[in-house]
Amino acid sequence: MSHLLADSAAIFRREALRYSRDRAYWIGQLVFPLAVVGFIGFGLNDVVHLPSGVDYKAHLASGILMLLVGSGAVGGGFSLIEDRETGFLRALLIAPVSRTSIVFGKIAARLVASLVLVFVLVGILALFTPLHLASPVALVASVGGVTIVFVSMGIALASRLRRLESFRLVAALATVPLYLFSGIFYPIETLPLGMRLLAYANPLAYGVDLLRFGLLGVHEFPITLCVSMLTGLSVLSAAVAVVGFDRSVRR
Amino acid sequence: MGNDATTAATTTPASGSDTAAIECRGLVVRFGDVVALDGLDLTVPEGICFGLLGPNGAGKTTAVSVLTTLRRPDAGDARLLGRDVVRDRDAVRAAVGVVFQESTLDPELTPREHLDLYARLYHLSDRHRRVGEVLALVGLEADADRRTRGFSGGMKRRLEIGRGLLHRPRVLFLDEPTLGLDVVARAAIWRHLRDLRAAGDTTIFMTTHYMEEAERICDAVAIVDRGRVVAFGAPEDLERELGGDSVRIELERVSGAAAALERVDGAREVVREEGPQGEGSAVFRVTLSEGPKRLAALLDAVRGFGIVEVHLSGPTLDQVFLHHTGHRFEEAEAPDPLA
Repeated sequence: MSHLLADSAAIFRREALRYSRDRAYWIGQLVFPLAVVGFIGFGLNDVVHLPSGVDYKAHLASGILMLLVGSGAVGGGFSLIEDRETGFLRALLIAPVSRTSIVFGKIAARLVASLVLVFVLVGILALFTPLHLASPVALVASVGGVTIVFVSMGIALASRLRRLESFRLVAALATVPLYLFSGIFYPIETLPLGMRLLAYANPLAYGVDLLRFGLLGVHEFPITLCVSMLTGLSVLSAAVAVVGFDRSVRR
Repeated sequence: MGNDATTAATTTPASGSDTAAIECRGLVVRFGDVVALDGLDLTVPEGICFGLLGPNGAGKTTAVSVLTTLRRPDAGDARLLGRDVVRDRDAVRAAVGVVFQESTLDPELTPREHLDLYARLYHLSDRHRRVGEVLALVGLEADADRRTRGFSGGMKRRLEIGRGLLHRPRVLFLDEPTLGLDVVARAAIWRHLRDLRAAGDTTIFMTTHYMEEAERICDAVAIVDRGRVVAFGAPEDLERELGGDSVRIELERVSGAAAALERVDGAREVVREEGPQGEGSAVFRVTLSEGPKRLAALLDAVRGFGIVEVHLSGPTLDQVFLHHTGHRFEEAEAPDPLA
């Protein structure tokens, strides 16, 4: 058990070093949301009036943050394919380290990267939108839950798919519908019943709602429902990732 | 796996002076229809530098994969320092270091970061000191904090060897350690391996398809062909077993030439080489005891056949391979089952 923690920490260190050196990643992740909020948010701000009375720029900005966290986290699975392609994974698998530690280390590093990104962006966005730290706990919980669920999905996917191109395609096909029915762009309550039901089945919708509570103090679902959904899904998806990865490297 | 009699016979303590470093019996590995290992038997004593020699596709890499727990054999059993590689996987992993044929480095990390990561994963108590020692050992101190992205093939291979040695494994596996390296880098790797052998506390198990490499660094070699061991011994002994030097001679007229060569005093084995030669001429390989002394007599015997070219060399592992398999090294190259 102590090995599990120490080994996960060692893997975490390596992943964190990689994230910290990926300059293109950080620039892209900072520019994209600012551009979306700048062009679309400001453009629609006076056109769109939300039932909750919340400023549309802020609504969109919080949604885009979650989109960024989700897509970045799925990309965490990407690193597994890269590790396989560079051969790094082979050497790792020969070391006496459990497959669980490898998965946990990757998830933890992504978690920290997501949180750093969100806090930096909130700091910038707060300058020209009404975003503020209404509930830091809700903010961390939502970013954490969505990151764990999406990294795990990415790892499970990467365990099955050997090629980078297939991974990109399948990841996009799997996640784009989640983004559309999650309340990122418009509140779920404004949707017709059929689409609303789809949104209720979407784990990301609970993450977006909880994040909005953290940054704007408003929410559509009960908070306890959001928290328990994210917690349950995090545990479940992490388990799926560990089993999937373990199976893919056992011969 | 393995019947009771052999299991009982090999129940030796996990550590002890008479435990072999490696012991395989009847290993079989199949990739679909391709049989990569076809009943491989091998015993490697502790503390030597051992070479598994064979053409590409002979099953060398597969053997390493099984012995390092990366692949389960379809039949047969393998023990490393007395531990079963399937049942006692974790103990085996802790005891071996592996240098793979392909790079396993992260281009974004520096040598120091690579070694530090593995020092943590192997739970070394003297992490910092050991990482420094290994960097010095493989001559990468000056480049210790540069990312490996821009490293040359030789530098990368040295780092891989350092990673393999980091946790002071009792058995170090190297799969084709000098494949794809230039002459200078190859010489540097050989020097490292010789130093390591001289230090004496690590058993080295390397695969190679370079005869020269095996002759230069290995105390003992096993020649594998089509997934089986066909010869085992010290390179010098295997060569001596041939009982002679090698004469390669090209003759213009073929008819009756082989018989004439066989009649020469001291000639043991006459083989006609296959492949395209000049118009009508043929190349023969003759094993000739005391070659330098008897070469003149041999030339006299075949003068009438029109000598085009003649070449005398000492016995080589290449000939050993030919002797034991009936075909030449290059001809044996099978397609890679993993490719």
